[in-house]
Amino acid sequence: MDLSFTEEQNLLRDSVRKFVDSQYDISVRNKLSASPTGFSQEYWQQFADLGWLALPFSEEDGGIGGTPVDTMVLMEEFGRGLVLEPYLATVVMFGSAISMAGSDAQKATLLPAIMDGSLMASFAYAEAQSHHDLNNIETSAVAEGDGYVLNGTKCVVLNAQSAGKLLVSTRTSGASQDHDGITLFIVDAEASGIKRIDYPTVDGLRAADISFTDVRVSAADQVGELGKGYTIVASIANRAILALAAEAVGAMEVLYQDTIAYTKQRKQFDHPLSEFQVLKHRMTEMFMEHALAKSLCIKATMLETQGLETQGSAETQRTIHALKYLIGKSSRFVGQNAVQLHGGMGMTEELRVAHYFKRLMIIDSQFGNTDHHLERFVA
Amino acid sequence: MDIEFSTADLAFQQDIQAFIKANLPKGMEMWTKRAEWFQALRDKGGWDVAKWPVEFGGPGFTPTQRYIFDMEMARNSTPPQIPFGVTMLAPILMNYGTKEQQDRFLPSIRDGSVNWCQGYSEPGAGSDLANLQTKAVLSADGSHYVVNGQKIWTTLAHIAHWMFCLVRTSSTGVKQEGITFLLIPMNDPGIEIKPIITLGGSHSVNEVYITDVKVPVADRIGEEGKGWTYAKGLLVHERTGLAGIQNSVLGLSKARKNALKVKVGDGTLMDVPAFRNKLGALEAELLALEFTELRSLASVSAGSDPGPESSIMKLKGTEIQQRISELNLEAAGVYAAAWGEQVGPGFARAATSAYLGTRATTIFGGASEVQKDVIAKNVLGLGS
Repeated sequence: MDLSFTEEQNLLRDSVRKFVDSQYDISVRNKLSASPTGFSQEYWQQFADLGWLALPFSEEDGGIGGTPVDTMVLMEEFGRGLVLEPYLATVVMFGSAISMAGSDAQKATLLPAIMDGSLMASFAYAEAQSHHDLNNIETSAVAEGDGYVLNGTKCVVLNAQSAGKLLVSTRTSGASQDHDGITLFIVDAEASGIKRIDYPTVDGLRAADISFTDVRVSAADQVGELGKGYTIVASIANRAILALAAEAVGAMEVLYQDTIAYTKQRKQFDHPLSEFQVLKHRMTEMFMEHALAKSLCIKATMLETQGLETQGSAETQRTIHALKYLIGKSSRFVGQNAVQLHGGMGMTEELRVAHYFKRLMIIDSQFGNTDHHLERFVA
Repeated sequence: MDIEFSTADLAFQQDIQAFIKANLPKGMEMWTKRAEWFQALRDKGGWDVAKWPVEFGGPGFTPTQRYIFDMEMARNSTPPQIPFGVTMLAPILMNYGTKEQQDRFLPSIRDGSVNWCQGYSEPGAGSDLANLQTKAVLSADGSHYVVNGQKIWTTLAHIAHWMFCLVRTSSTGVKQEGITFLLIPMNDPGIEIKPIITLGGSHSVNEVYITDVKVPVADRIGEEGKGWTYAKGLLVHERTGLAGIQNSVLGLSKARKNALKVKVGDGTLMDVPAFRNKLGALEAELLALEFTELRSLASVSAGSDPGPESSIMKLKGTEIQQRISELNLEAAGVYAAAWGEQVGPGFARAATSAYLGTRATTIFGGASEVQKDVIAKNVLGLGS
C-alpha cells in the first residue's frame, strides 16, 4: 500500500495552488461571477495551456492519461479557490462520458476541442420529477429517419450558457423510472427547438433549464448503446461525485482554517474568541469532520482508479455512496459552524466564508444528497 | 498511490491467517488455553510481543506489518493480552530502565507470570493527572522512598503483583516536574485494595491505598523528577491504541447481523428506516476513520510523523464504539432490561453490559473533552 502522491501529482497540486493563491482572490471570484459569462475565458485558456483540460483523457486520445487521483488533486485545489470555470461540466461530466462511451469519431472531434479550450460542454441529466434519481427520465427520443427527435425539459443544467454541446439523457423505451431504455445523445447547443432559461445559481455559478421541442439528432450523435445509457449515466455520476467531494474537501479546509484565524483575532469579553473552550472544541470538531471526509475521499478515489482496469466493483460503488453521504454531512457541519463562529460577519457577502458556505450547500444537492446516498449505502 | 498491500505484506497476512486457523483456541477453550495460545505466538518468532523491538525479543514488524497483525488478531477475536505489562510498562523499561531492571522485569512481563497495574489516577488527579499528590520521601540514607497516598480507577489491581506508579517527590516548581516513576510490589503490607463496582456490575477497577510503603531507589525508573516525561510518551501510545478500529469493524458487522435477526412487523429491524440510517451513518464514518488510520500508517511508513489526523483516532474511535453499543442495545428491544438470567437472545445480554461498560471509553486514557483541548492546542494552535 502506498498513499503518497507521485511527483507529477505534487507538481500539479503546486501549480493549481499557485494559480488559486495568486489569481483567485475572493474579490476576483466575485467579479468574474457577476460578469456576463460568469467566469474567465482567459483563465480557461490558461487551463488548456497548462494541460489541465487534458488531464483525465488517455494518451491515445491525445490527453495526459491522468487518473481520478489526479482529478482529485486538481479539484481539491479548485475547491480552495471556489473556481468558477466549467471544469466539472466540461471535462469531468461531458469529457468522461465521451472518453468512456463515445465512438471513435466522437472522440476524434470532441476531445481535442475540449483539451485545447475551444469547446465547453455540459451534461443535461436532471428533470423536475426525478429528484435525485438518475433513471427517472421522461425526455423522449423517438426514432425518425436516420436519427431521433427529442422532446422534454432538463433542469439546472450546469454551465449551459457557455456550452457548445450538451449530452442529454433521454428515454428511448420503457417507463419513466426504468433503468433500461435510457439513451444518451450529443446535442448541439444551438440546435433548433432548444430553449434555455439561464440563471445564476446561489453559489455563484450558472445554470439553465432547457426545453427540447422536436430537436433532431442523427444516429451518429448517439453515445453508447441504444437503451443502455443508464450505466454511462451512473459512471458519469460517480466521477462527478468524486470531483465534487474533492472540491468540498478543499472548501472545508478553507472554512475551518479561516474560522481558526478569525477567532484568534476577534476579541470579546477582553479575550480572543480562540481562548473560549466551547469554541475551541467546536473548531476541533470541524477539523475532525474535514479529516474524515478527506480520508474517505482519498479511499473512494483510489478504489475508482484501481477499478479502471476491473470495471469497478460493488465496494467502489458502496464507498462512493458513503463518500457523498459523509461529504454532505461534514460540509453542513463545517459550513454552518464557520458562519456561526464568525458571528454577524459570517452572514455578510463581504467575507469569503459566506461564499464557501453556499458552494458546500449546493454540492450536497448535486448528484444525490446525503439521504439519497445513505439509503443506497446502507442497503 | 496504491490501495493494495504489497505482495510481501499480503503473504504476511496469509501467514497470520494460517497461524490463527491452526492455533486459535475454540469456544470455551478460549479461557482455558490462553497460555498455549501465547506460547504458540512466542514460538512463531516473538509474535506474543508484537510491538517490542528485535533486541528485546520482538518480531521487528514494520509499521504496516504491525497494522496487519493487529487487524487480523481483532478480526478473529483472539484472546486479548492484558496491556499493562507488555504494552504499557515494557516500552518505558526499554527506553528508560537500567539493564538490571530490564533483565529483572521483562521476562516475567512477557511470559505473563507477573501481572502489573497502572498507578496513575488519584481522587484529585483525573484528567488533570499532573495534579497527583501521592508522596514519596527519600530516606535520610538515600536508599529508599517512603510512599503515602491513594490511587483510584486502578484496573486489575486486585490480581496485580506489581504496580508502576507516578508519585510526587517535589512540590516546588511546575507540578509536572516533581513527579517520579516507581515500581511498587502489591504484596507490601502497606498496600490496601478496595474494589469499585462499576455500573455494569463488574469489578475491574479499584482504589489502592498506599501507607508507608518502602520502595528501594533501585526500583525507581530513570531520574527522580522525570517521571512525567516517561509517562507522557506512554499516554500517547495508550491513546492511539484505544481507538479500537478493527474491533469496531467487527462489532458493527455483528450489529448488522443482529438487527437482521430481530423481527419487526413483517420485516426485520433493518427495514426500520430510523435504525437503518443510524447504522449506515456509523458504517460510513467508520470507513472514513479506518482509512484515516491507514493514512497515518502510510505517513509513518514513509518516515514522517503520523500527521495531525492521527490525533482524532481515540476521540472518534471511542465515540464510534459507544454508538455501536447503542445500536445493539436498541436491537435488544425489551430484553435490554433483563439482567443476570439467561433469557432473550444471546446478543441482547451482551448488548446491555457492553452499552454500560463502553461509557468508560470516552473517559479513560484522556477524556474526550481533554482530547479536544489537546487537539485544539497542539494541532490547531488555539490559545489557552
